[in-house]
Amino acid sequence: MRLPRIFRTTPFRLTLLFLALFATAASAFLAYVYFTTAREATRRMDREITREMRSLAAAYDRAGVDALNQSLIERAASERPFLYLLMTPTGQRISGSIAASPVDGFSGEPVWTSFSVTETDPAGHTVTRPARGLQEKMRGGEVLFVGADVGEDEAFALKLVRALWANGALVVILGLAGGMLVSRNVSRSMVGLTEVVDAVRNGDLAARAQVRGARDEFDELAMGLNEMLDRLERSMAGHRHAGDAIAHDLRSPLTRLRARLEAALLDVEAGKSDPTEALVQALNDTDGVLKTFGAVLAIARLQAAGSAPDQAPFDPADLARDIAELYEPLCEDKGVEFRSELAGELLVRGNREIIAQALANILDNAVKYTPAGGAIMLRVRRRASGEVEFSVTDTGPGVPEADRIRVVERFVRLESSRNAPGAGLGLALVAAVAEAHEGRLDLDEGPGKVGDAGPGLRVALILPWAG
Amino acid sequence: MRILIVEDDLEASDAMARGLADAGHDCDRAADGEAGLDAARKGGFDVMIVDRMMPRLDGISLVETLRREGDQTPVLFLSALGEVNDRVTGLKAGGDDYLVKPYAFLELIARVEALARRRETGSVQTVLKVGDLEMDLIGRTVHRQGQEIDLQPREFQLLEFMMRHAGQSVTRTMLLEKVWEYHFDPQTNVIDVHISRLRSKIDKGFERAMLQTVRGAGYRLEG
Repeated sequence: MRLPRIFRTTPFRLTLLFLALFATAASAFLAYVYFTTAREATRRMDREITREMRSLAAAYDRAGVDALNQSLIERAASERPFLYLLMTPTGQRISGSIAASPVDGFSGEPVWTSFSVTETDPAGHTVTRPARGLQEKMRGGEVLFVGADVGEDEAFALKLVRALWANGALVVILGLAGGMLVSRNVSRSMVGLTEVVDAVRNGDLAARAQVRGARDEFDELAMGLNEMLDRLERSMAGHRHAGDAIAHDLRSPLTRLRARLEAALLDVEAGKSDPTEALVQALNDTDGVLKTFGAVLAIARLQAAGSAPDQAPFDPADLARDIAELYEPLCEDKGVEFRSELAGELLVRGNREIIAQALANILDNAVKYTPAGGAIMLRVRRRASGEVEFSVTDTGPGVPEADRIRVVERFVRLESSRNAPGAGLGLALVAAVAEAHEGRLDLDEGPGKVGDAGPGLRVALILPWAG
Repeated sequence: MRILIVEDDLEASDAMARGLADAGHDCDRAADGEAGLDAARKGGFDVMIVDRMMPRLDGISLVETLRREGDQTPVLFLSALGEVNDRVTGLKAGGDDYLVKPYAFLELIARVEALARRRETGSVQTVLKVGDLEMDLIGRTVHRQGQEIDLQPREFQLLEFMMRHAGQSVTRTMLLEKVWEYHFDPQTNVIDVHISRLRSKIDKGFERAMLQTVRGAGYRLEG
């Protein structure tokens, strides 16, 4: 059987659980109240009966059975709550307010008994009430029974219990109503989130949850969900863009390769040329395509992983020295002055190999675009913010400010550098590496324009301090 | 050399076997991990080329099993997985080298020959000699025809690697991996510059050039 929706919500179930716990505790409490009240009532009644018995026995001792009989008659008329029965030593009734003693087989020793009295009230209803009684033998052998019904006291306890039960029922009803109210409220808060999840499941990545501004856990959940969707959307867009870009960047070299092979085939068939040269060029083209492909893959993997694998603390100056050693001869060959300023005793956390590759890419670009007679400066320092910065400054043509964000994007190569080798993925990979280490990539103007040279470019890879 | 190729892509293994045969090597082929394990257990191979991902038994498990059984035949892993940690997994499993697909065929041959060579020179050497070039590994000095050649530490490492693989083609990627210990592919051929510096130090002023460029492959040190 399917319950209405509101009964299936978590808050409602929690309310039921609470009510059940409350009811159990309340029942235990009521039982305790009832039993202690009833026991106390019996004990008090027993004391009263004992006192009455003592007083009657004293009267007997003073003036004999007739005096006792007399006082019993007086007492019966005086609306006292007690029941009396005076019997001969053989058990014959002498006088009293009840017909027979409820005690069976009286041995002569004082004996307590619990029994019940049946009465007809003025309205004609028959009422049975619990009672206590004490039977004792007088000195002269006569037997006296004194009893009293405890109904009054027990009725009080029962009334109390009934009142508490009624109260409990009210609590349960209010609790259920409250539970439904809370449940409805929570459900209403959840509906928005559920709708967003449904929309995303159906492919609408632009769906966002509404943040109501209550700063409660639902708002936190909604903000978390939105942030997650933002990241997801960016990453999906990145993949879509990558797909387009790969198609674009691979299609042109592949087309070139195909054309070259076709032309070579025709030439060879016509006996006009040696196929070797065409084959060498085809191989070079293929290598170019593979390089682009490898770079795209590396970027995609870093972005998919979110953070770089196998991160460990290392000395950034040490890494920079290594990479500088790799590139310095290249600069020298090209007639570019290479200098470095590496601050010691710094610590960053990351994948050394991946960061090395990023730094190599930055230097690669710098060497590529800096003309002979220029200079390249590699620097490692701690910024005022505490972050660690690797920077490479060159005296090449630089990148106009308007294009700086664009060159970091995948595959973008500025028109003016179309003819330079490289797949145009260098800085995109650096940006992906920075992001995978919770760092960033900054592009700035270099040292400025000097004659024909400059204004240069300053590329900074900024990583969080790991000290 | 006898080479075992364990590769499930038959077209690829066929091309590999033909190329290695042209280079003068004997090749046996296995098309899945289990067949590869059976063939390897028969022994007698100088080098094994093992694809990482194969049906029935993957390359990693295959090599782990062989190493557990005490087989120390050098293994070159081939894989489409080229992440740093993929490489580490391969080497930890007992592989001796790791080549990412797609690869240049000359790169494959160079690496296979380097692996076989490494096995031959088991004893610890203190002096390397190639032709009239002599390297003292303890004194960290290099002489050619008795004339001392002054090298930077990295140049020394580079020359040591070339001397240990004298007569073989050594690719730029191999040098970057084994001498600099980087596994990425720089856009510019930085290695070429280092080689030309080394060349100017060991060959300049001598009649015969030892450090030769191998077209399409890399370099070779000839004695």
